[in-house]
Amino acid sequence: MEGQPKPRPSGSKIFYIPGGEALLRIDPWWGLVALVIGLVVLLIAVSPDPFWNIVRFVRDGIVITIFITITAFLFTLVAGMLGGLGRLSQNWFVHGVATLYVEIVRGIPLLVQLLAWYFAFPVIVQGVGQWLNISALAEYQANAIFTAIMGLVVCYGAYMSEIYRAGIQSIPKGQTEAARSLGMTHFQSLRYVILPQAIRVILPPVGNEFVALLKDSSLVSVVAVADLTRRGREFMAVHFNPIEVWAMVALLYLVLTLFSARLVAWVERRYRFER
Amino acid sequence: MKPIIHIENVHKQFGKIHALCGVSLDVQKGEVVVIIGPSGSGKSTLLRCINRLEEYDSGRIVVDGIPLDTAENINTVRREVGMVFQSFNLFAHLTVLDNLMLAQRVVRKRPRGESEKVARELLEKVGIPDKALAYPIQLSGGQQQRVAIARALAMNPKIMLFDEPTSALDPEMIKEVLDVMLALAQEGMTMVVVSHEMGFARAAANRMLLMDEGLIVEEATPEELFSSTHERTKKFLGKVLH
Repeated sequence: MEGQPKPRPSGSKIFYIPGGEALLRIDPWWGLVALVIGLVVLLIAVSPDPFWNIVRFVRDGIVITIFITITAFLFTLVAGMLGGLGRLSQNWFVHGVATLYVEIVRGIPLLVQLLAWYFAFPVIVQGVGQWLNISALAEYQANAIFTAIMGLVVCYGAYMSEIYRAGIQSIPKGQTEAARSLGMTHFQSLRYVILPQAIRVILPPVGNEFVALLKDSSLVSVVAVADLTRRGREFMAVHFNPIEVWAMVALLYLVLTLFSARLVAWVERRYRFER
Repeated sequence: MKPIIHIENVHKQFGKIHALCGVSLDVQKGEVVVIIGPSGSGKSTLLRCINRLEEYDSGRIVVDGIPLDTAENINTVRREVGMVFQSFNLFAHLTVLDNLMLAQRVVRKRPRGESEKVARELLEKVGIPDKALAYPIQLSGGQQQRVAIARALAMNPKIMLFDEPTSALDPEMIKEVLDVMLALAQEGMTMVVVSHEMGFARAAANRMLLMDEGLIVEEATPEELFSSTHERTKKFLGKVLH
């Protein structure tokens, strides 16, 4: 086959069919990122008041949004692996705990979970502290950013558990058997054979989760975290110009999400492998 | 002489299906045993019990003096018993060289240099030294299976188990795999082979077993078996030999 031109996939080019040469579809979208950034710059240049003022005001909110997203995402990767392995455990107790966690957390809206972590959880901790006479617990106060990250990790860890579970289950049983037949322990075959392959399988859905997490991080604005959304609301409350504020906040989120989506696609392509 | 594999009255049930109905078998060191039989007769199950990839319900298996009971013993036995599968099962994310080195490194704890030396020697032996840096997907079925054999040999096993090693191969690739197996048999490797390659059995087997419905029906040398008067054996060979 070498030297010959590659056969062109025939038929529809609208829908991607595995085996077709669809790699090109990734790169042109960097143009969209540039377009949105261009629009932001244009708005600021044409009308610095209010757009430049808005950007300056929400700057620290952008930093907090990025910080919360990345920190929560890293912990989510760990929580998801533990949850996914737990779901696949043959130990009924571990399996039961993991399943309960996933099913309960998936069934409650993230906003409700965040409100519960921020308002209800500290009261419970204080109550337990008073009951046990531990002053550190009795005087517990919720730290907004810490609580927000914890809430996001608990919720997205459940989604991620299912992604890990599906990824691990997608690896053929023969891979484990080959590893075990060579004398590897259960842990070694997981570490060296199953997970490295599963991670490549789950990269696309994990990337999706990252973008979804970035957007859902706007919910933490209700629990006193001064993220991008909350800073926008604060600006609006003072200057009362909702159209400009939310147009700019939306554009800024769009820059972040489009940029991370491109980043995810790039990582995916780097780790692509054929089976 | 004490057998290197001792199987005693092993039973195995999958739900309602009785896969092994009290099989006993002794294999001596250096012996090549070929197991034949219709599909569903329990031959693969028996083979997979020897390194405990399949759990059995009752009976006893002792490999090289080690009974397959505790998890530790099972891992010890697996280190000494190589296995080759019908579907190759090469590690898809690793190069050929890394496939051969992984278990040496993490199970045998051999240093990188030594592992690579062993791996390259074995690739030479199975005839594909130029594919060291290829990924499994880039190899033909016959090449993949030869890599799989080399991967098992890299652990310096005392016994090799072959589970229908040529069944998934194109006809013209079968010979290259059988040649490697034949060379291994001539070097004195203890081998238990589930296969319907009668040519290989005739050339290499010390003993052949015919299994049916979870039992060993007949046990004989290849010459005896091919001219057997046993009803079940005659019926099976009539279907297999053309």
